[in-house]
Amino acid sequence: MSEEHKEYLRRLKRRSMLIKLAQAGLLLLFFGLWELFAYYEIIDPFLTSSPSRVINSIYNLYLSDALFIHMKATLAETMLSFALSTFLGTLIAVILWWNETIRRILEPYIIVLNALPKIALGPLIIIWAGAGKKAIIVMALLICIIITIISMLTGFLSIEKGKMQLLQSMKANKFQILYKLVLPGNIPTLVSVLKINVGLSWVGTIMGEYLVSREGIGYLLVYGSQIFKLDLVMASTILLCVLATAMYLIVALAEKIIKRMY
Amino acid sequence: MSALLTVRNLSLIYHSPDAETEAIKDISFDVRREEFVALVGPSGCGKTTILSLIAGLMKPSSGEILFEGIPVSEKAYATALMPQRDQLFEWRNILRNVVLGLEISHKKTQKTVSYAHELMEKYGLGGFEKKHPSELSGGMRQRAALIRTLVTSPELLLLDEPFSSLDFQTRLSVCDDVYHIIRNEKKAVLFVTHDIGEAISMADRVIVLTKRPARIKNIYTIESDKALSPLQRREKGFAEYFKKIWSDLEVTYV
Repeated sequence: MSEEHKEYLRRLKRRSMLIKLAQAGLLLLFFGLWELFAYYEIIDPFLTSSPSRVINSIYNLYLSDALFIHMKATLAETMLSFALSTFLGTLIAVILWWNETIRRILEPYIIVLNALPKIALGPLIIIWAGAGKKAIIVMALLICIIITIISMLTGFLSIEKGKMQLLQSMKANKFQILYKLVLPGNIPTLVSVLKINVGLSWVGTIMGEYLVSREGIGYLLVYGSQIFKLDLVMASTILLCVLATAMYLIVALAEKIIKRMY
Repeated sequence: MSALLTVRNLSLIYHSPDAETEAIKDISFDVRREEFVALVGPSGCGKTTILSLIAGLMKPSSGEILFEGIPVSEKAYATALMPQRDQLFEWRNILRNVVLGLEISHKKTQKTVSYAHELMEKYGLGGFEKKHPSELSGGMRQRAALIRTLVTSPELLLLDEPFSSLDFQTRLSVCDDVYHIIRNEKKAVLFVTHDIGEAISMADRVIVLTKRPARIKNIYTIESDKALSPLQRREKGFAEYFKKIWSDLEVTYV
């Protein structure tokens, strides 16, 4: 290795170290200033809470066993709606890919459903699915599934024509074309759909919990704001950040593993 | 020698909402065993369509395509298509790409897979079984695509502008390569190209088509030593054929 290249690598390393340090520093600065300003009452801790109050609030939740109950409830709803919407959306996309007539018939309905803000269906969902977990999952499912269908279908339909013809010339039937070409060829599409859905399923679940719930982080958020306990609201927000990021990182890791195969 | 493939009075009409278009009009020719036949014609004249018809990707409006006297639609795996660009599947390794046709036809047995291994070994892909297409050079990918068509043991290979995606230099060597392999395996070939030089240097006969609707303009039998490689064949007599075919095409361009 030449001296010049060593120097280049050193510079590269230094730079990424610097960025990591700055990232950590920014976090510390933010929480430090927040704590400090709240302590000297430059900002009103009743409205803004403070890091120490947030930690205290989380600790209290932990002591009363509520922490895990709420986290578990939200996490379960999110993961269930995430998995369901990905699976059902892909399944529907397969059906639409398979049959052009059905696809053309349903096209305008999908466009309307995609344009509609799904939250508007909240009251209907509550009446139909009951004011409980089911309604929350249906809400999140609805938010994710339409975009899943559209993305997957676009992926399925954009498979290269030459590859189709190759299989057809081998006398492949449609089912073989599906599982030898269309599905494996769209794993990258699926991964990008997973990344979108990881975010959307959180949106759906929290929105659902705003509408109806007796537990969950969305419930804590609404409850905290109603009784004006901003400590609780801030604590819930931070919990949510941690959980959503964790789930996103898992999907990103899955993407890395899959990308290596492609 | 009796014909392997007989195309008789083949016509095709394309239907679209705006109009119907005559793509191919009354084309008849045959391909004999172990013969190389090239189809050349102006771009968009329907050369590829003729291959698609023979490969069974679409049905002709009229006429018939016989393989050893039997309609080609009833004879599965008599022909194999090598499409434009190699169309290797990136998510499969080279071996799994090569045996794709065997999987589709449920003929993936120990015997056929070892035949695939044998072909790969013989034609310089030994040791690359586990590699993915993106790890191979353009020439090697082309060879893998050719072996993919050979493993199902077809009698007739249909090559659709097989070298069009390669740069000129790779193209000449891959052309030699493919020619050598197919001669060695004693297969008949019908290939489509818009490159006159490629057609003359590879084929025993060149069929020149007119612009749309495609009809046969001329058929040239190329007299040359079969032992020579396509590159070597680009010398004696080459220019003469080139001029003749060029003028055939030029007339159709007007």
